[in-house]
Amino acid sequence: MTWNSGFQKWKWVAVFLAPSLIGLLVFIVYPIIASLWLAFQDWNMLSAPKFIGLANFQELLQDQDFWRALRYTLTFVVLYVPSVFVIGLGLALLLNQKVRGMIIVRTSTFLPVVASWVVVSLIWKWIFNPSYGLINYGLALLGIQGPDWLFQPQTALYAMVITSIWKDVGYIALLYLGGLQSISETYYEAAQIDGAGRWRSFRSITLPLLSPTMFFVAITLLINYFQLFEQVWLMPMTDSAADRQLRVIVTEVVRNAFSYNRMGYASALSWVLFILIFIITFVQFRLQKRWVYYESQ
Amino acid sequence: MNHSNAVAGTMQSTKHGEGIVVSHNGFTSIARALLMIVIVALMVLPFLWMLSTSLKEQQYILKTTPELIPNPLTFTSYTQLADRIDLGRTFFNSLFVALVGTVGQILVAAMAAYAFSRLEWRGRNTVFMLYLATMMVPAVVLVVPQFILIRQLDWVNTYQALIVPGLFSAFGTFLLRQALLTIPKDFEEAAFVDGANHFTIFWRIILPLSRPALATLAVFSFMGYWNNYLYPLFVARKESVATLPIALATLQAGPRALTEWNIVMAGAVITVLPILVAYLLAQRWFVRGVISSGIKG
Amino acid sequence: MSRKLTVLSMTLVFLLALGLIAPVAAQDSTTVRYFTFSAAPDYLEELDEIIAGFEADNAGITIEVETAPFADYFTLLQSGIASGDAPDVFELNYENFVTYAANDTLLDVGSMVNAEAPYYPRALEAFTYDGKQLALPESFSDVLMFYNADLFDQAGIEYPTADWTWDDAIAAATAIKALGDDTWGLFSPVQFWEFYKKAAQNGECKFFNDDMTESTINSPACVETLELMTGFQTSGLMPTAADLSGVSDSELFLSGKLGMIVTGIWMFGAFADAPFNWDVQLEPMINQHAHHFFANGVAVSATTEVPEAAAKWAEYLTSSETVAKVRVAAGWELPALDEPAYFEDYLKQTPPANRAAVFTALESPVTPPVIVRQSEMQDAVNALLTQVVDGELTAQAALDQAKTEIDALIQ
Repeated sequence: MTWNSGFQKWKWVAVFLAPSLIGLLVFIVYPIIASLWLAFQDWNMLSAPKFIGLANFQELLQDQDFWRALRYTLTFVVLYVPSVFVIGLGLALLLNQKVRGMIIVRTSTFLPVVASWVVVSLIWKWIFNPSYGLINYGLALLGIQGPDWLFQPQTALYAMVITSIWKDVGYIALLYLGGLQSISETYYEAAQIDGAGRWRSFRSITLPLLSPTMFFVAITLLINYFQLFEQVWLMPMTDSAADRQLRVIVTEVVRNAFSYNRMGYASALSWVLFILIFIITFVQFRLQKRWVYYESQ
Repeated sequence: MNHSNAVAGTMQSTKHGEGIVVSHNGFTSIARALLMIVIVALMVLPFLWMLSTSLKEQQYILKTTPELIPNPLTFTSYTQLADRIDLGRTFFNSLFVALVGTVGQILVAAMAAYAFSRLEWRGRNTVFMLYLATMMVPAVVLVVPQFILIRQLDWVNTYQALIVPGLFSAFGTFLLRQALLTIPKDFEEAAFVDGANHFTIFWRIILPLSRPALATLAVFSFMGYWNNYLYPLFVARKESVATLPIALATLQAGPRALTEWNIVMAGAVITVLPILVAYLLAQRWFVRGVISSGIKG
Repeated sequence: MSRKLTVLSMTLVFLLALGLIAPVAAQDSTTVRYFTFSAAPDYLEELDEIIAGFEADNAGITIEVETAPFADYFTLLQSGIASGDAPDVFELNYENFVTYAANDTLLDVGSMVNAEAPYYPRALEAFTYDGKQLALPESFSDVLMFYNADLFDQAGIEYPTADWTWDDAIAAATAIKALGDDTWGLFSPVQFWEFYKKAAQNGECKFFNDDMTESTINSPACVETLELMTGFQTSGLMPTAADLSGVSDSELFLSGKLGMIVTGIWMFGAFADAPFNWDVQLEPMINQHAHHFFANGVAVSATTEVPEAAAKWAEYLTSSETVAKVRVAAGWELPALDEPAYFEDYLKQTPPANRAAVFTALESPVTPPVIVRQSEMQDAVNALLTQVVDGELTAQAALDQAKTEIDALIQ
């Protein structure tokens, strides 16, 4: 294609890409490089930074708190991501149906997405209250004694997973919805003519054509949730075992940066996290060829 | 699978963007309706509690048996809120920043997404990985370097400090790239034959085709700007430019003093409403996204 | 065509937005930037009153106030300093003073302050470092025991006296707890600072050895002290976090369901409208009295461009009569000044009636042990304390582990 080669092409690439790329380099990449530099320093923000080489990383690898935070982060991701991935898809399929009143359902699922974690954590701390919250009340009706939820680290983790699913499922469904509605109806019509049933249509048309969206959802979920922070920072009950023992990586970054005044160590922590996320995303991209179908290629 | 023929007969695809028309056979309808009600209740009830708390007087909030309907019902928390913070100015600041930021972010991301999906050039995937990589660094660790950069630009306590860095979000580019990749090449080829250049194609063909994705990004972008706390805390605390989350944070009292939850909740209600509105507006684009299905097979 | 118009207008708006806010024109008079956490949100009017008084006496100087919530204050202050944009004058609390002083961020104001200013000598001393006066004491507060007089009456027991021991308090708490299932006897938090204070009341438990090279937190005296503290909860006199279920200890006291609570005098205002009679008393002792003493100070930045004006403001803010009157009248912390006349009105306000206890407590003050990695030490100890309360560790085991962790921090 003549319009896609040579100098002309590069001119167009430049025009379209420049604003985004330049801005990204200045406001995001430059601070990122600064934070990488900081990872090799000892800096308490009040005096000049001191170069200490790999000391931060060495300390990190031997730090019990880091490994514990990593364990909790991984547990959370493993519990949460597959759940919300599937539930979100189910919800999107429901929302995509043209039924009276569906718009109310659609809007209502978006309400939790829209609220900030500050608000959501306030509400769900109450719901998970072991003494008079709704969850344990419901469990009691079934004859089960509910656990101490947000007071103990393990149960607090489960509570946060549930709350996160509640909060995010509308967002995930929305992303899927965008993908579902971009699927040209000609495909469904053709399938119908060929006598395909609903499940067959779903497997052969919906899933493949939705796969770019699914890929996007998977990547975004993983990238975001390894960086999980607000729930863990806000939800545990003050001064409880959960509050003092449940840690994930980004809470440790914040704690070290802003409470302990160890900007260098905090930067090192975030870079280790970055490497972890990068590897996982890279693997996902490689696997993409196996299951993602792009119509334009 | 028994239903499949009956269902296939009734299943029709619809105008693009309106969802799938489904069977109205009795049992499925009732089950579906029940599901819809349950979902709406699950999503909305917690917020009703938040709303109800905002309408209560201080001393009624802490009853051990929580009541959903405030008794007495009062709007004092809202008037007190307006007294404590300059509600008008703060609201305007938030709205201005979010609107300008959203429009800007969409433009920038759409252009970059075009370069990543409709143009073919060497190094395309590598540069895209760079974008993705920036999403993997926890934002918290960038705040201090970004703050220092803003200081160097002399942008502290200005609107541009709040708006500009957020314009270059990799997330937006990623989202739109995925959406643009689903558009078949046929559309462009036809236009090029007619003598159009990339810009026209971008404006007249590609963008309209990606309305659902644009609407999605608009909502998330708006939300991102609207709820942002940590970064604005550093760069824009002056009342003339402060946004809602900053102003509302001042309502939470220091350690071991008493917080007035009804006022805090009133602030939360005010924060949530505009985003809901934004979502409702964007909904329309979802539902009415039009594809001329002139191109078949 | 209309599409192009929309694009153009959007771009225009966008560009306008970028260039919109022009920098504020420079002012003729000297401006002093003051950063504070204690003034917001409740005392901004009082601060304005103080500023008005200062500006009236000092023509040509304008004070520009910046506030931040306490939780974010120090982060913001540090980044301000790190980026070269420190405020001219700012508040510090005692625990953070040492860090800032040690990093050369504070101006020596010793010579710039009126030698006659009536500061409490001990308070003034607290804010010296290396022989230099690097901040001025702005206010102090202490921690007392508050008690619900009505509950004591109901249980038919005597009110707490100034020479109560914790055994007396436990006996009273038991009687009050017996009043009902949802009534609690006392509240004294199981956390680092309370532990340190109880250690001082014990007298023999010390967290560090004399030259601060090693932690002695696992000594028998300390184990005994910790067991006393956790005993309140295990014996059912004090609610655990789970029992409180999200209600704060202050809220519990205000609801009339708590007999005694150890908390700070800053709660006088919050408790003023309580629907029951209450008063304060010195905190019970173990072997001797010890009370928390907190002080806030005001410092001038080492990099300020207006040192004289800044120092004048700092001095006024901490020692002028106007300030003392405004603070006392509003209940906004007490000025750290040795002028009994200023406190006459304070002592007359009720509740509580026994305000004299605020000053008696000053005779047995403890200040927190400050090491460089202070926050980490607190977090580590607090995490271990919850394990003791939950029964996962014995007091001895927890303190042994605490010693190991603290020793690592002071290397």
